[in-house]
Amino acid sequence: MNDEAIIRLEHVRKQLTMKNGGEEIVSVILPDISFDIKRGDFAAITGPSGSGKTSLLYLMGGLDKPTSGSVFLDDQEISALSEEELASMRNQKLGFVYQFHFLLPEFNALENVMMPMLARGRFSTSEARSRASELLSRLGLSEKLHNKPNQLSGGQQQRVAIARALANNPSVLLADEPTGNLDSRSAETIYKLFSELNRETGQTIVVVTHDEHFASETKRILNILDGQLNSDKRLE
Amino acid sequence: MIINRHLVTIAFRQLQNRRRQTFLTLLGISVGVMVLITAVSLMDGLLQSFIQKIVDIAPHVIVSGERVKSPVPDQLIVSGNGNHVVFVKKVNRERQDVIKNYPRMESLIKSDSLVQVVTPLVSMDVIGMFGTISQPVQLFGIVPFTENEIEKFSNSMVSGKFDALGRTPDGIMLGTTVAKDFTARVGDRMRIVSQSGVIYSVRVVGIFKTGINDIDDNSYVNLRLGQIIGGFSPDEASDLYIRVNDLPKDGLVASTIERETNYKAITWEQKAASVVALFKMISGIVYFLVFFVIMVAGFGVANVLITNVLEKSRDIAILKSLGFKRSEITLIYLTQGLIVAIIGAAIGCVLGFLLIEIMSSIPMASSSQSFVSSSHLMMGKNPMYFVWASLFAVVVSLVAAVGPSRNAAKVNPVEILRGER
Ligand SMILES: Nc1ncnc2c1ncn2[C@@H]1O[C@H](COP(=O)(O)OP(=O)(O)OP(=O)(O)O)[C@@H](O)[C@H]1O
Ligand SMILES: [Mg+2]
Repeated sequence: MNDEAIIRLEHVRKQLTMKNGGEEIVSVILPDISFDIKRGDFAAITGPSGSGKTSLLYLMGGLDKPTSGSVFLDDQEISALSEEELASMRNQKLGFVYQFHFLLPEFNALENVMMPMLARGRFSTSEARSRASELLSRLGLSEKLHNKPNQLSGGQQQRVAIARALANNPSVLLADEPTGNLDSRSAETIYKLFSELNRETGQTIVVVTHDEHFASETKRILNILDGQLNSDKRLE
Repeated sequence: MIINRHLVTIAFRQLQNRRRQTFLTLLGISVGVMVLITAVSLMDGLLQSFIQKIVDIAPHVIVSGERVKSPVPDQLIVSGNGNHVVFVKKVNRERQDVIKNYPRMESLIKSDSLVQVVTPLVSMDVIGMFGTISQPVQLFGIVPFTENEIEKFSNSMVSGKFDALGRTPDGIMLGTTVAKDFTARVGDRMRIVSQSGVIYSVRVVGIFKTGINDIDDNSYVNLRLGQIIGGFSPDEASDLYIRVNDLPKDGLVASTIERETNYKAITWEQKAASVVALFKMISGIVYFLVFFVIMVAGFGVANVLITNVLEKSRDIAILKSLGFKRSEITLIYLTQGLIVAIIGAAIGCVLGFLLIEIMSSIPMASSSQSFVSSSHLMMGKNPMYFVWASLFAVVVSLVAAVGPSRNAAKVNPVEILRGER
């Protein structure tokens, strides 16, 4: 395995300031956390509800900025980037899968997957279309290319969301409880998909999950407790 | 920033999802644009037809008996308290309101190559009597042949022949309003009472209708008879009417005459200035009201976008997390405003065109209250109406779209994606 760190967190602190009448209440979500994710890694982030897993994932993905400390993606400090630069970076290097599939309801499966490819004009429409249908076929949706999200089952929608996250060939795929909303059979399909992706294409994956069984199938488990790294286990 | 058509596609799809609201907004803009186009066409048409009639059948320059300058003082006494006394030697008592020796004036004016026709007139207020009816009449004495080249009476005869006036020394030609008032017909004899109380018997030889109510109120006799009734000498005239070859030069002709003869010469623009100004003011008010219609349509656009942005905040968050930039999100919603405006304006232009066609084909009863009467409503026809109305709708819609679009760009994806269930 390649030892190159693709995501690196250095003393990342995240706190939120809320105004309650005249008072300002500061709540610390992540006091100080440091770790890195290597290229080709397949890591599960686990921990009780409210421990800060989602917050951590958003920071890793440049959707949110740390209060202090640094986040590096491909050795570039993303906390220093402007909003526009962050947007481009998210588009090219990151793929997100959320607990809820969050597809655009007006567009069919194919168009949803094409969207990130067309956002930056890196692909022509026909290139984007053939790549999107290839991805969807690989995820077993070749029959559903032209279905709108409301014509797809929850599991199918989540697979479309995964195809969309993979569209721009991201350095890292970040998933936040991607099976949280699915029945166990659909969840199983998604787990298998992630494992396959990591095994066959070396796709770096970080996935937040509550599912012990799924976590045990990954290569590494990062356990979070009260915003702190409780344990970091390699399974192999 | 790439203005790519995918943004336009996203904009379109979101609008399609809110069909009813989008349709109502489209309707608002269409109606606004239609009303604006029609109002502009109506006002423009009225003004144009008014000006056209004047240019066709009114004198371009009128020389009147009024002197430009008063006589210079022969003696001036300046007293200590600021009062001046001016003496002017009056050799003969002359009428200050007539043109003396008009034939010489006429030939002088005609020598100007810009002048096409000159014709002398005398005007006076008299009492007309027919049967039991008697009422004041504005009477003119004219030279029928040259007068006709300016006022084109021969095209406006509703009964009788214009030529008959020249052949009938005691003939009178009545405006249609006058003829109606007296219930007089061609061939009837009526009487004219001059200001000095002398009664003249005249014969109606023709009745005309120009459509300009000021003129249809008048009556015309031959110049010589007019001079006799009004107490003018044979070489005196009240006015000279002039038609020029080249209309924009009428001001030049007028000022030359004033300089060379000291008689007051006014152009039709000066004479019609107050009416034109009134037209402009009425149009201004009409446009102002119509602008409000489009403003309201603009609120409709803002409304559609605000609801879209609110309802689509989840999608906006997704687009942002996929790497769409703030500016691109703004553009999606500005594009929605633009789409509604363009489609609305296009429909409005078609409706406006149809409405103009319909309105200009509706027959209209003439009313003596208006400046100009005609059988149909004169609608202005100019492609620029459509261009300006559409442009206005687009600008208003874009302005209305700016606020919601910027709000859309401000959506924070983290907040939305966290909170969404
Ligand atoms: N916008 C916010 N305002 C206030 N508190 C917040 C906000 N976002 C997160 N938090 C708090 O931060 C802590 C971490 O939240 P986070 O969503 O990261 O937890 P999590 O580990 O993902 O939980 P879960 O497993 O339930 O998804 C929680 O205590 C939460 O209440
Ligand atoms: Mg969470």
